[in-house]
Formats: sequence, structure tokens, C-alpha cells
Amino acid sequence: MSNAAMLPFPAPRLRLAARIGAAVFGGYAFSWGFIAAGAALMFKAGMDFHDAEFLSSALGLLVFLTVFLWTFATRRLVLAWVVLAGGGALLAGVASLVQASIV
Amino acid sequence: MAAQGVAAQSFRQAMAWLHTWFGLVLGFVLMAAFFFGALSVFDREIDRWAIPSTRFEPQPMPSYEQILRPAFERMQPTQQAIDAMRPRVDGPMPEHFDTVANWSAYTTHRDPVLALFAGFQVPGAKDPDEAIFALGTIDPRDGTALPDDRLKIGSGFFYPMHYSLTLDWKNLGVWIVGFSALVMLAALVSGVVMHRKFFRELFTFRPGKGGLRSVLDLHNLTGVVALPFHFFFAFTGLVIFSATYFFPVGHTQLHDLHDLHAATEASELGLPHKRAGVPAGLANVDAMVAEAQRRWAARDMAGDVGFLVLQHVGDANGYVSVYRAGTDRIALVGQGIHFKASTGVLIREDPVATPVGKVAEFLTGLHLQHFRHWLLRWLYVLGGLLGAVCIATGFVFFVEKRKRQHAKQGSQGARIVDALAVTMITGMVAATLGILVANRLLPDDLPARGDWERYAFWGTWALALLHAGLRSAPVARGLANPAWREQCGAIVVLALAAVGLNWITTGDHLLRTLGAGYWPVAGLDLALLATAAIAGATGLHLRRRAAATAAVEHPRREAAHA
Repeated sequence: MSNAAMLPFPAPRLRLAARIGAAVFGGYAFSWGFIAAGAALMFKAGMDFHDAEFLSSALGLLVFLTVFLWTFATRRLVLAWVVLAGGGALLAGVASLVQASIV
Repeated sequence: MAAQGVAAQSFRQAMAWLHTWFGLVLGFVLMAAFFFGALSVFDREIDRWAIPSTRFEPQPMPSYEQILRPAFERMQPTQQAIDAMRPRVDGPMPEHFDTVANWSAYTTHRDPVLALFAGFQVPGAKDPDEAIFALGTIDPRDGTALPDDRLKIGSGFFYPMHYSLTLDWKNLGVWIVGFSALVMLAALVSGVVMHRKFFRELFTFRPGKGGLRSVLDLHNLTGVVALPFHFFFAFTGLVIFSATYFFPVGHTQLHDLHDLHAATEASELGLPHKRAGVPAGLANVDAMVAEAQRRWAARDMAGDVGFLVLQHVGDANGYVSVYRAGTDRIALVGQGIHFKASTGVLIREDPVATPVGKVAEFLTGLHLQHFRHWLLRWLYVLGGLLGAVCIATGFVFFVEKRKRQHAKQGSQGARIVDALAVTMITGMVAATLGILVANRLLPDDLPARGDWERYAFWGTWALALLHAGLRSAPVARGLANPAWREQCGAIVVLALAAVGLNWITTGDHLLRTLGAGYWPVAGLDLALLATAAIAGATGLHLRRRAAATAAVEHPRREAAHA
């Protein structure tokens, strides 16, 4: 396919699908973790809940945009998956721990 | 040095790939989001055009005691709402809903009619906090109920098209549009990366310089000139829905934190979260509204009421909240003042928003634009249409760049994309005109009239797709699809028909509406005429070009056959 050939890296269909999956779903997971951790930490630091929720979502959307672009720019697809899925899980874990320390 | 050059080169190629293919696939959604977003800027004005009985001047929030109370007391959920709620209730649904959770009314400086909302407690609801809702629309001058089955084409159809494509099943449409907004942001960034001579290209437009070049210039021009606009609206659109749909951390993972916050907030504010279960009367609400307005004036911000809420109606814990209309503010409503319902005693005045709260008000308020600023309102339309042109030229460029090569290879790729682009560009405009024409043609007392209007919209669009597909064969030979110019012709006919039908069915022709300065209807009629003019000129231009191409191609093909 000419579209795959346009990519600057060796990209058979499966690899391309893995990259798109990393950008979309990995990016979402990472952003979720970022927003949850951000909201919980800012709330713990004394910010109003809805303020913390808003601020972390707004920043989290910019984070999503950044990691989305990065996933297409990087050559290291495995690293992208590890950072996005692993980092997302880690951040979500932080959010739950912070919540548990408050409630 | 060389390695850096290669890395930069491949980075740019990766961004170009992202821009081309994500832009192609989700550009169709973005096209609708931008176009219907531009129309939504004047949603209430389009409502006036579509519902002639509401063609009168905007009204302030009416008196509660004289107008609102009788209207609220008449409100009950529709049979549809009751049926939808039934599976989430143990036991039978009541004949009449008596326990009012809340009553509210919302208006802006552009609303002649008033939207009313009522929430009722449902006995036996599996989630006791889940209320059943009723909506109503009244003429605020005398309280007359207006038929609510009449489709508000602007605020009730074009506006939901803008953010959800009206695909309500599991909020699918909201997710599709949301993901497309993310892709829009990515397309803007990658688009900038693709251009080495970004600033030189900023204002380059060479209309005479051959088709491909001028299409690309127009794509870059509309993308770059309005870049801050596109970025801001895609971003704030995501922000507005983020906590509700895309990242609802407060309702899911951080639910406990949210509950903790709600409980402390209720006790701090003195605004009871639940009913006391003790019946109580209601003091004079008009007096509370007058007191709220006096307090705003004392703060040097005299204003009208935008949002009036009665919480826990008929209960000792009931309270009344009066919010100031944001006509002269970016925030939608604000400066809430709360009174105890049974006595009318002041409970609290909302303090000035926190810095983060102000940022939130700014970002959402500037996107939703309920404040009064007509010039800015028109600039929003312009920005939205520039976005649509940017995406449309992106499609055209995609096709023009490939169609000759595809013709040589025998590929149908360019043909399919071109047919979809026709559907999405001229077809979408035709569908929009189709619903307006149907709105004026359908009998006034037709049952489920709004549904028929929607069918006219989707039916016109489906016809446009069919037509674009059937006429697309020349594209596979590297030529233009005649559907472009034919649908331009259809747009001219439909737009003129809409203006004419409005005149015939309501008597509101342009001389009358312009003479009376009634801009909601005059403005839409003028916009329809402008649409007809632009589509007509484009159609003629395409016809001339097709004739010129045929003159060149014909002898060449004859020669090939010989």
C-alpha cells in the first residue's frame, strides 16, 4: 500500500495498526492517568475539587495531543507502548493511592 | 549533522503522514463540526425562522408569581420520558409526579421564548437521586405554552449536529466528534511542521497559478490565518465535555473524592443537598429576584436574571437560586444569590470565582458565546466557515494530487474520496437547505412534524451521496466529477426555494423584515441568498472549466483511438 510506503519507518500493516493503537488507546490511558493523578494531587494540596478536575483535564488534553504526536514521530514503537500503557497505569495507581490517603 | 538532517526529515514525513491520513478519515466529521458549529452561532435566530409563531423580540425573565408558577405547575414528564425511566424503577410508575426536585428557567438576550425545566422524584427509583425530567417552552409575555413538538432547527438540530452528529446511542457521536477534535489539534500541529517556509506561505494565494497550487494555497491560507481560532475551538470543545464524557474521573475513579467534596461544600454553603421531608410553603419569589437585582446593582453590576432555580420545591430544605445573565460577561451565568424558599431570607451570595474558576469560565464562555457581541458573533461564523473551507480544500487537494496517477494505475481511490468529498461539501449544504425547505413545506399540524424535518435532512444528504457516487466515473479517468457543479445547481434552487417559501407561508419577505429591522429572519434570508449566489458562481465556473477541459481532451482521445 502506498500509504504504508509513505511512512519513514518500516511499516507493514500490523506495525502501523500497533502504532495507531498506541497513539489512540495508549494515549488515552496515559491522559486518564495524568488527569486522575493531577486532580487527586491538586485536591490534596488544597484546591477545590472542580477546579482541580478542570485544570488537570485541560492540561491532560494537551498531554494527550503531545503523546499522540510523539507516538507517530518516534521510531521506538515498543517504548511508546511501555511509556503510555505503563505510565498510564502507574499514574492511575497514584491517583487511587492519593484518594485512599484522604477519604 | 547528516544524521540530524535525516531525523528532521523523517519527523516531517511522519507528521505529513499523520496529517494526510487522519485528516482524510476524520476530516469528514470535522467538516460537519465546523459547518454546524458556524450555524449554531445563530441557533436561536434559525429557530425564529423555523417556528414563525415565535418571531418576536427577546424578553426578560418574566414574573414568577404571574407567569412562571402556573407554567411550572402544569409541567409533567412526557410519556416517552416515563417509558424510558420505567426499567430503572421498582414497581409501577405513578400517574402523576407530585414531588418536585427542582424547577428552573433559562434565558439569554437572544431568546423571545423561555425554556423551562422540571425534575421530579420518582417513587421506587433504583437510584433514589435519579430524577425524571420535563421540558417546556412558554411565551414569557403571557405564559402561553408553546407546542414543544415543533423542531427548533437551530438549537435543537444544528447545534447537536455540531457536537454529537445527533448519534445519541451510548454518546457515540460525542466520542466521534471529540476524537476528531483531538485529530484537528494534531492536524494543526503537523500542518505547521510540514511547512518549511511557514511565514512566507502565510499570505500566499495564487488563484491563477494552476488548480493544484491554488487549492493548496487556499488550504494553507484558511488553516494558518485562522490557526488560533481553530486551535482554540477544538481545544475548548474538548475541555467543555472532558469531565462529563471523555475523562469523567470525578464520577468513576475519584468518585469518593467527589462525594467528600460535595458533602463539605453543601455544609459550607448552607444549601441543603437533600429534602428534609417536612412540607413548607414558598415565600414571594419575585421579591427574592428583586433583592438579588438590588444586590447586583449595589456591586455596580446591575443586570437581568439569566437562570432561576427552585430546589426541593415544597420542602423545608427548599431554596431559590437567582443567577445573573452573562449578557455583558464571558461567563454564561454567574453571581448566584440564594434564598431560603419558605422565608425568602438570604442564605448566601456566591463569592468571586477562584482564578482557576475564572479560566474555566473564560474558556467555556468564549466557546459557547452567550454574551452580547454581534461583531464577534459574525467573526465566529467566519472562523467556522474558514475551518470548513480548510478541510474541504484538503479533500480537493488529496484528490487532485492523486487522480491522474490513480487513473493510470486503474485505482478507484481518488474516485471514492472525491465522491465522499462532494457529499460532505455540497451535499451537506444541500441537506441543510433541505430541512429548511421541508420546514416551510410540511403541513402545520402534521403529527411528529419534527421527525419528518429530520428525514428531509438525512434524505437529501443520502440523495447527494447517491448522486455523487453515480456521477463519479470520470474521476477514475483523471477528470472532474460533474456532481460538483450539479449539486451547486441544487443548492441554488433549494436556497432560493427556502427564501421564497418563507415569504409565501409567513408573509415575511425581505423588504418587510429588513424594514422592521427583524434581523433573525432577515439575516437568515440574506445568508440563503448569499449561499445561492456563491453556489451559482461556483457552478458556472466549474461548468466553464469542464467545457474547456473537454475541448482539450476530446481531440486527444480521438487521436488515441485512431
